[in-house]
Amino acid sequence: MGVGPSTKETTLHHFRDPLINLIAEDPDIDFLGVVIGGIPDRNVDKKFTGERIGAWLEAMRCDGAIVSEDSWGNSNVDLAAAMEAIGRRDIPQVGMVLIGTQGIVDQNEYMDTMVDTNHSKEGTETNIVAENCMTLAEARKCVALLKLKMSRKYGHL
Amino acid sequence: MNEEIVKRQLTIRSFHCHEVVFGAATSFVKDGDYYKMTIKKDIAEDLKKSSDLFEDLTVKILKPGEHHVKINSVMDVFPISVKALGNLGEGITHTITGAYVMLTGVDTNGRQICAFGNSDGWMDEKVTFNQPGTPSDEDYIILVDVLIKEGYATKRIGPDACHAACEIMCEPLRANLKKFREGSENEKHVYRDLIHPGKKKVCVVKLVSGQGAMYDTHYFAKDPSGFTDSRSIIDSVGSPIILSPNEYRDGALRCLYG
Repeated sequence: MGVGPSTKETTLHHFRDPLINLIAEDPDIDFLGVVIGGIPDRNVDKKFTGERIGAWLEAMRCDGAIVSEDSWGNSNVDLAAAMEAIGRRDIPQVGMVLIGTQGIVDQNEYMDTMVDTNHSKEGTETNIVAENCMTLAEARKCVALLKLKMSRKYGHL
Repeated sequence: MNEEIVKRQLTIRSFHCHEVVFGAATSFVKDGDYYKMTIKKDIAEDLKKSSDLFEDLTVKILKPGEHHVKINSVMDVFPISVKALGNLGEGITHTITGAYVMLTGVDTNGRQICAFGNSDGWMDEKVTFNQPGTPSDEDYIILVDVLIKEGYATKRIGPDACHAACEIMCEPLRANLKKFREGSENEKHVYRDLIHPGKKKVCVVKLVSGQGAMYDTHYFAKDPSGFTDSRSIIDSVGSPIILSPNEYRDGALRCLYG
């Protein structure tokens, strides 16, 4: 289990990604950048990537993060590892992934705010290209939830 | 009052393609208010010759809305862009709108070039159009379909060769696209990498495919959304890299599998 046709973000998606444009134009946010982490094969490497992401965000003095993956099933181990590493460093975060009816196979206490990218009736990987990819609506939800979490933690934005 | 510090600026000029045809040579030229793309009629032969792993390769031009066609599993959909000035993430990028490349493939044993789940079948049933990552109903699709030798659907060199072949088709288009003067574009978008001092610092973290074989994501090719000279995230065992918002928006990533 991993990336499937309905969740996979194409090269064209990355080029016109709604989330990036939304955050980049937001006057309430100082947008530091986009961290790209791979979803490697071995579990030890998945933990390694997640931990490095946490360390980077702390080093950047990041106040909040939106963490997404265009994948599902076993790849949730990578998402959980990254969100645990970020959460342990006390950085507010929102996760975004296909949840649907299949759920998230690896979870932890730091994954308390998740946005679902499912658009299918079945709530699963449908093998239909881009059906369960993030849209502007989900991007907006992520930004709103992150702002809420940050304002609760810091008292203001 | 919102203070902002501009670190760099990226201008993306788009050139809208209103017709794609086969012809004597590959070109992208002005045609009235818009642009016309011509693909060399025997381009498939040239692309096929680019790798010993290919048993066959076809290139089709699908008109807007012509979606009821049989396809193999979709590896990727990508725009054709070129850096006209500066490095990725700054300067000027020229991109074609109205026509996008869709890459599909299968091996001679019937194994689709895909990971978990494949999207082969009728395109109108297997693709959600009008999404950020897919063509709209008004767009042309240049469909490149590869029949690869048995066993190479799941080896890195298989999908790599398919993406590399597409570059042979895109290069002459990029050469034309690069030369258009300021003001000849149909749309212009200016993106700025900004610092908002005193505001909350936010990162976007994206986890992308990198398990091995056809699960792969490349970054920082020679041209935006390109493949040539790109690096694989498999080779760095998934280690995180950081992109400025403009580098990301300038097509820093190329997805190998769909």
